[in-house]
Amino acid sequence: MKIIIFVLLSTLMPAVVVADWETNMPRGVTPTSIAAYDLHMLIFYITVVIGILVFGVMLYSIIHHRKSKGYQAATFHESTKVEIIWTVIPFLILIGMAIPATKTLIMMEDTRNSEITLKVTGYQWMWKYEYLEDDIAFFSKIDKDSNKARRLNSSIDVNKVEHYLRNVDNPVVLPTNTKIRILLTASDVLHAWWVPELGGKKDAIPGYINEMWIDIKEPGIYRGQCAELCGKDHAFMPIVVKAVPKSEYHKWVSIQKDNRIATKEN
Amino acid sequence: MNTKTKKTYYILVAFTIFMFSFSYMLVPLYDLFCDITGLNGKTNKVKAIVIEEPSERFIKIKFVSNVAQSAPVKFYPIEKEMTVQIGKIYNTKYLITNTSKTNMITTASPSVVPGEMSQYFRKIECFCFNHQEIKSNETKELGVQFMIDTEIPNDADSLILSYTMFDITEKNINKKVSLK
Amino acid sequence: MSANLEHAEHHQPSGIMRWITTTNHKDIGTLYLFFSLLMFFIGGLMALVIRAELFEPGLQLVVPGFFNQMTTMHALIMIFGAVMPAFVGLANWQVPLMIGAPDMALPRLNNWSFWILPFAFTMMISTLFFEGGGPAAGWTLYPPLSLQGGNSMPFVIFSIHLLGLSSILGAINIIATILNMRAPGMTLMKMPMFVWTWLITAFLLIAAMPVLAGAITMLLTDRFFGTSFFTASGGGDPVLFQHIFWFFGHPEVYILILPAFGIISTILPTFSRKPLFGYDSMVYATASIALLSFIVWAHHMFTVGMPLAGELFFMFATMLIAVPTGVKVFNWVATMWRGSMTFETPMLFSIAFIVLFTIGGLSGLMLAIVPADFQYHDTYFVVAHFHYVLVPGAIFAIIAAVYYWLPKWTGKMYDEFLGKIHFWLTTIFVNVTFFPMHFVGLAGMPRRIPDYAVQFTDFNAIASVGAFGFGFAQVLFLYILYKALKDDVTVGEKAWDGAQGLEWTLSSPPPYHSFETPPKVE
Ligand SMILES: [Cu+2]
Repeated sequence: MKIIIFVLLSTLMPAVVVADWETNMPRGVTPTSIAAYDLHMLIFYITVVIGILVFGVMLYSIIHHRKSKGYQAATFHESTKVEIIWTVIPFLILIGMAIPATKTLIMMEDTRNSEITLKVTGYQWMWKYEYLEDDIAFFSKIDKDSNKARRLNSSIDVNKVEHYLRNVDNPVVLPTNTKIRILLTASDVLHAWWVPELGGKKDAIPGYINEMWIDIKEPGIYRGQCAELCGKDHAFMPIVVKAVPKSEYHKWVSIQKDNRIATKEN
Repeated sequence: MNTKTKKTYYILVAFTIFMFSFSYMLVPLYDLFCDITGLNGKTNKVKAIVIEEPSERFIKIKFVSNVAQSAPVKFYPIEKEMTVQIGKIYNTKYLITNTSKTNMITTASPSVVPGEMSQYFRKIECFCFNHQEIKSNETKELGVQFMIDTEIPNDADSLILSYTMFDITEKNINKKVSLK
Repeated sequence: MSANLEHAEHHQPSGIMRWITTTNHKDIGTLYLFFSLLMFFIGGLMALVIRAELFEPGLQLVVPGFFNQMTTMHALIMIFGAVMPAFVGLANWQVPLMIGAPDMALPRLNNWSFWILPFAFTMMISTLFFEGGGPAAGWTLYPPLSLQGGNSMPFVIFSIHLLGLSSILGAINIIATILNMRAPGMTLMKMPMFVWTWLITAFLLIAAMPVLAGAITMLLTDRFFGTSFFTASGGGDPVLFQHIFWFFGHPEVYILILPAFGIISTILPTFSRKPLFGYDSMVYATASIALLSFIVWAHHMFTVGMPLAGELFFMFATMLIAVPTGVKVFNWVATMWRGSMTFETPMLFSIAFIVLFTIGGLSGLMLAIVPADFQYHDTYFVVAHFHYVLVPGAIFAIIAAVYYWLPKWTGKMYDEFLGKIHFWLTTIFVNVTFFPMHFVGLAGMPRRIPDYAVQFTDFNAIASVGAFGFGFAQVLFLYILYKALKDDVTVGEKAWDGAQGLEWTLSSPPPYHSFETPPKVE
């Protein structure tokens, strides 16, 4: 099977040079993303075990209990005992899942004691970022190269565009090892701010604010995009977060402030 | 149609109509639910409050402003942050400027995070949902009078009050004529 | 019997008028099934437009606006046009035959509830040719985006109203038939599982569809009559729409799957030559799934920012649904256990149903876990999940039912060899299409996007190849149906040696008016 697919693919898409077979959720670099990942893997393994058990019994039955082998059908059609067993056991498994899920959720929803507040506003089709404590604000939208290449029949090979659809003109710069409270709202329709490696998403709702928190443990560039259908260019409002050590972040902040004063004076 | 079938039919039609009206009942139910749980940080109601002794605790409040649909207004809080004593009444203001060449009618919707805390954010006076008529290039002050309820849990962190300003001139086109 | 037939032919208009004026449950069942087949292919073509555009990154075929219309229409047509009418068609054919009734309780109403459908869908699909195009906000119609749409919106809403009306009338009819027209001796707890699941589904329909009608009426008045149910500037809340919509939407999910449970519970015992395991617990499990479906709606919208208590409540309630669903799956496996199985096409589709639906159910369990759902929500993982429960779930069950009862309806047998080829092609391609969607979803690809970052290319290409394969396999299905009707391979009363139930006591095809004198059930 795999070989057939492979042959099919290699004939169909000679353009693909670097194959990317990422099949799982990124573990991410924040306490929330790591907790979500661990929970995801735990539940995944449980479901795999359940699947193997159920399908194993079924497969055994399919192989052995067939008419062509002359197997005579039994006549039983109920058993209160087994029915109770397979009601109670799944229930206990569910409780086993619910406990870590509840703990994680409580941790995720606790936005207290955050050091800085970043307000994110969704627009059709870009993001606005405001650093409430430092009075910095800017828009961030898809970069020029991606934007050109994404047009219908643009005749640009998108595989050659760097970070196609995942690059912006102004990335959000955030400090590492800092609890950051993110406020979300929207100007027009629903959007959702999502960078997989920084943890889950929250909806940005016009007229209301939502909140979530992140604490980035490793410097780096993290990419994501809008995750709630927001009209025709929903696919084209990427998010790029540049996480830098605190000292570098403070430098960046003061540069932004200087720039603003300079533009004001002009 | 025999009588039994007729009876079933009428009961089911009645149930259908009930479920349709139930969808409309969900609207006030939802508001009630929001009020109790602070869902979405709804703080629509301006409530009468009982003045009590202010407590010794202090809490930080951040004020945030948004403009919907990129309307041509400047809208921001005069104070971005206040540290307030719980149980004491405070006043603050937002400023709105109409930067367009035409007169405008606006309205604002409030929202508080964390949503669970919005029930303790008591607004005594608020401009939410008032229709503001603002002439071209005019600036108005919009006052908020509020108090943080003494019932607020001890472990509460800073609260954020946000207003979103909507340009609703088009929806109220008749009033616009009278404005001129 | 033959006197009956002649009698019927005397009064029956012939040609097209027969079909327009018919009040016969078999005719209406046939109409529903053909209509659903047509919609399945129209909705399928839209899916192929989507998959063709997603074959590689970059936009090659359609503009994003049209892409969004395709995703919206594909969903609306498949849910309201393909799956629901197919189930109603099966109920029309089978419920009277299975409970020993001469016809549906409300035959004229039955005619109406079908003939509303073609008009509603003509109106809905015609909006694609409007200036500004059809609906593009997703089938969930979330405001404020759905309020931004072009002129199509009121027409789409009106056609959804009509569809809702049609389903409600159909449901009322089915309930009235099941409650009042059972043959003497057929108590509720002796009814075939298919009848039970449909009875419960019909109640879900009557409870849920009016709520959808209310939600979209509010959308309409928000847009055109100055109400603000869902606009924040007037004190409304866009999230309220989501709550009302999913209050309908979650029961709707079970409307799309409970009759499938009934079909599988009918087919498995036939080909295992062994009675259904745990009939009583099957009935109770179905009923509890239906009841639970009214208190889990918010799990479709965990990311809107609910209070912690709300999130926990909806998470626990959703996880709880796994218990009765698990009971069903275990009972099916126990039905097969120590049976004397043969593997004709309906059985093959039923076994594939159990395996693939269970996979969809298990990914559903993963989605119930709120912290993980913050990552899964609105990604292709969700798309993979609900296609696993709807395609190899609902649609496999419908196909299995058609193979299973076709000999009864027409008196003719399909080509078993071709049926098996159809099964294997369908099953392989359904997995090639939808399994890779789990991977791209987990890796971070949001749903409802016409173009994607290049790291998602490979799995998308595979999914697209699978989708086209799946589409062509269904053309084979058409041919098998055509061949069965053309070739004259007739069958007797009992097309399957292990089949149980009243319908198999009738001739194949059954007389136009069957069970005029009710059979006795001991
Ligand atoms: Cu967006």
